[in-house]
Amino acid sequence: MGINYIGIGDFAVSNKPDDIIKTMALGSCVGIMLYDPKLKIAAMGHIALPDSKVRGQRGMDKPGRYADTGIPLLAKAMLNKGSKRGRSLIVKIAGGAQINDPNDTFNIGKRNVLAVKKILWKCSLILKAEDTGGNIGRTMQVGVDTGEVTLSSPGRSKWKL
Amino acid sequence: MIVTKSIADRVKEMPMLSVVSTRLLELLGEDNYSIRDVVSIVENDAILTTKILRAANSVAYSPRVPITSVTAAINNMGEKVIMGIAIESCAPKVFKDPLGGYMSEAGQMWDHSLCTAIGARQLSSYTIKESSSNLAFTAGLLHDIGKSVMSVILEGNTEEMLGHIDNGEAVSFLDAEKKIAGMDHTELGYELAQHWKLPEQLAMAIRYHHHPQDVDDKYKDLVYTVHLGDILAMMAGIGTGVDGLAYSIDRTYKDYIEIREDELAIAVADIQEEFFKTKQAILGEETE
Ligand SMILES: [Fe+2]
Ligand SMILES: [Fe+2]
Repeated sequence: MGINYIGIGDFAVSNKPDDIIKTMALGSCVGIMLYDPKLKIAAMGHIALPDSKVRGQRGMDKPGRYADTGIPLLAKAMLNKGSKRGRSLIVKIAGGAQINDPNDTFNIGKRNVLAVKKILWKCSLILKAEDTGGNIGRTMQVGVDTGEVTLSSPGRSKWKL
Repeated sequence: MIVTKSIADRVKEMPMLSVVSTRLLELLGEDNYSIRDVVSIVENDAILTTKILRAANSVAYSPRVPITSVTAAINNMGEKVIMGIAIESCAPKVFKDPLGGYMSEAGQMWDHSLCTAIGARQLSSYTIKESSSNLAFTAGLLHDIGKSVMSVILEGNTEEMLGHIDNGEAVSFLDAEKKIAGMDHTELGYELAQHWKLPEQLAMAIRYHHHPQDVDDKYKDLVYTVHLGDILAMMAGIGTGVDGLAYSIDRTYKDYIEIREDELAIAVADIQEEFFKTKQAILGEETE
């Protein structure tokens, strides 16, 4: 058993009931949790940007960093663990916070959330719950046994998603 | 609430910088300096030299031939890592202690400072006028030093401050700080910069990093890069505490920094990568 910490652009999948998958301090990044309630498999990713196409000539750095490449990876990780991809999966997202920006150029948080929803839809994954936006940092974790997602933020009491 | 001990007293109680640290920051606060000058200051300090050599020989680098001089260490690790180690060792307590008043654990202040420094350095290549990337890095490392003193004053007031933020009475966390302490961490940081006799440019970056439009024109390029570097660090969630992302962007940045949306996205990815690599390198001494 253990806590499986994932950093920016990383993801993890587990079917060990004692495991916890956790990602720290989502600012404008978005944490995505997939859960197969029948087989008790959980996966979590931490994306930082909407679209990998910005890389252009520079080539891919970390596919898990971008919504368009990260979410398919996450879905595939579930598949490899034996889950049947698709509508039966529980999907929850958190993060996408914003700095107060009158120009809206630094609205990466908002664009991340939109991109994540679009890609989820493309992958036939149905979003069950979200806690996004605002100006707080969020830490997100899931218990593999129950699929329960807990969020926390410095100075606030934990809450369930 | 009544602050019993005056803030001025708290700043005065902060330990002074060592002679070596003062000289080093004086040098790093200039627009242009040669790395040879940095080396000669560092070599005068046995502890700092040891730290740098230990990092250069750590697993993070595992050099084929043992590194025995500061110059060789710079060639191997790059200036950035050396400057990071040097500045951290100027005021280790400021960077490494937990910030109770911000609900930040030990090391988070350092992470945030380092990420801001890397961000500011990266953004200095997008200023409309040419600006110094080394200076941006140093200023980024120091921008939030006021938090170390402010933290003590804020302790125990978390709920009240979050209340002000949540009900909109405080637009940014700076307002919440003012409600508790009568001043914010940029003003307090400026007091500390005076106490430490930091060079003017660095003191100005500390004082105006949340509202660069108010700084004297000659410092604007520097302060805008630190402002945006700070915001990118917060957006990446690096070392953020109870203040989270509760700050505002200074919309006038566009007059000083020109960056397209796709360039910004690339910069975000690069800054994150570089942050984790540099952090690893600087921590090298501890993972040995
Ligand atoms: Fe700040
Ligand atoms: Fe900051």
